[in-house]
Amino acid sequence: MNMSEVVSLALIAGLLAVDDRAGWQGLFAEPVFSSLLVGMVTGAVGPALHVGVVLQLVWLSIGQARGTRRPNVVVGGLVGAGSACLALQRTGDPSDAFIVATAVFWGLLAGEAGALIARAASGWRERRLGEFRLPATAEAASRDLTLAVFGSALFVGAVDALSVLVMLPVATLATVAFTGRVAGAAAGAAWWLTSLPAIALLIMAQAFYQTRSVARFATLGLLIALVAL
Amino acid sequence: MSGQLTRRDLARVFTRLLFLQATVHRRGMQNIGLMHALDAAAPRLSRNGTSLLSRHAEYFNTNPHMAPLVVGGVLRIEEEAESAGPASVSRFKQAAASALAAAGDVFFMGALKPLALTLACLSAIYSFFPGLVGILVLYNAAVFYCRYRGITLGYARGWGLVEAFSRPSVQRLLGIARGVAAFAGGLLAGAILSRARTDGITTVAILLGVTGLAWLASRRGITAPRVAVILFPVSWIVAMVLK
Repeated sequence: MNMSEVVSLALIAGLLAVDDRAGWQGLFAEPVFSSLLVGMVTGAVGPALHVGVVLQLVWLSIGQARGTRRPNVVVGGLVGAGSACLALQRTGDPSDAFIVATAVFWGLLAGEAGALIARAASGWRERRLGEFRLPATAEAASRDLTLAVFGSALFVGAVDALSVLVMLPVATLATVAFTGRVAGAAAGAAWWLTSLPAIALLIMAQAFYQTRSVARFATLGLLIALVAL
Repeated sequence: MSGQLTRRDLARVFTRLLFLQATVHRRGMQNIGLMHALDAAAPRLSRNGTSLLSRHAEYFNTNPHMAPLVVGGVLRIEEEAESAGPASVSRFKQAAASALAAAGDVFFMGALKPLALTLACLSAIYSFFPGLVGILVLYNAAVFYCRYRGITLGYARGWGLVEAFSRPSVQRLLGIARGVAAFAGGLLAGAILSRARTDGITTVAILLGVTGLAWLASRRGITAPRVAVILFPVSWIVAMVLK
């Protein structure tokens, strides 16, 4: 495993976390886009994007969720796509579906673990921000506000970067260790990968079939795709 | 632009608003980010910039993409503070922030973001990389345009902003945006089913079976990512048993 690639991916995670939770939320942190970055860094765009799309399909459900139940898509996406690419560098390409499926699994777990870590770190950060008092002079107020904003953004990025720095090597080594060693694992992994888009189907049905007018648009899109594709 | 603030001043406030979410905290939510943004224009609006900022230390929370609209309005009202007074700014923030938060959630979180992500997934499934990059560029262009236009519109209208966003035409626009996102969602669902159909009847059966299982799990409050995690070892066990 190339440690310079792991560090690069951790730094990317930090930047993406700033965009996702401290910046303008430009979708760079969503797995379907972050996996493209991971693929370009590691030189394996195809497998990275495969992992990213599957993670995105599963996480489409949390698109509108705001608050504590949202997994950490930055950590999940980077660990998922990153572990697939780094594991493929070690193993070659003996069972692509198995490596992609295992990477998606690590991505999902890392998303949950990353959310727990970010929540715990956020508690400390929020307590500090809650104690913020505006200084009496304009210069001091300007300085303290800038420090609070950029310090807080940096903290958010650092927490996710450290999470990826720890989780990515573990996920990669675990993927490499399991590859080709468990009977039926490749078939099971392939089935699992096949079944995951079903979750996206369900989520879309639940989201769009609540109001009749919206359901009509969704049905129209479904029929056009079924006929044309 | 009529008023004390130039386009350059508004651009500085706009840039700072890009980091509005950085200091979100439970007690005041976005208040520190708001003060940081207003600090860029405070010296032009008041001789005592700190007293202007201290009026905004209270709780403030809205959709981050709609915040520039509110801040634009706040700048206009602060500029006219001689006649309106500080209570007016506070009332405006409360009225505009809650009305625009709802509209912003529906438009950005409920329509534009799902639309972009759905189209991105479709592009990725068919390995259409220019589409993937194009969606990212277009989404960010739309967000930047809405945010910048928001601050200039808010500054131009002031209190008129609340009235403008209460019109039925805004609701109609939100409905259309949601319809377009639903159409794209239908396309993605169709693409997934089409690919499963070409893979064979087993794949279609697995897809439909897991959809039913996920539906039962969601009724019991289990989230989709957790259903996916639970299914991983189950798939392995079934595969090993059948082998």
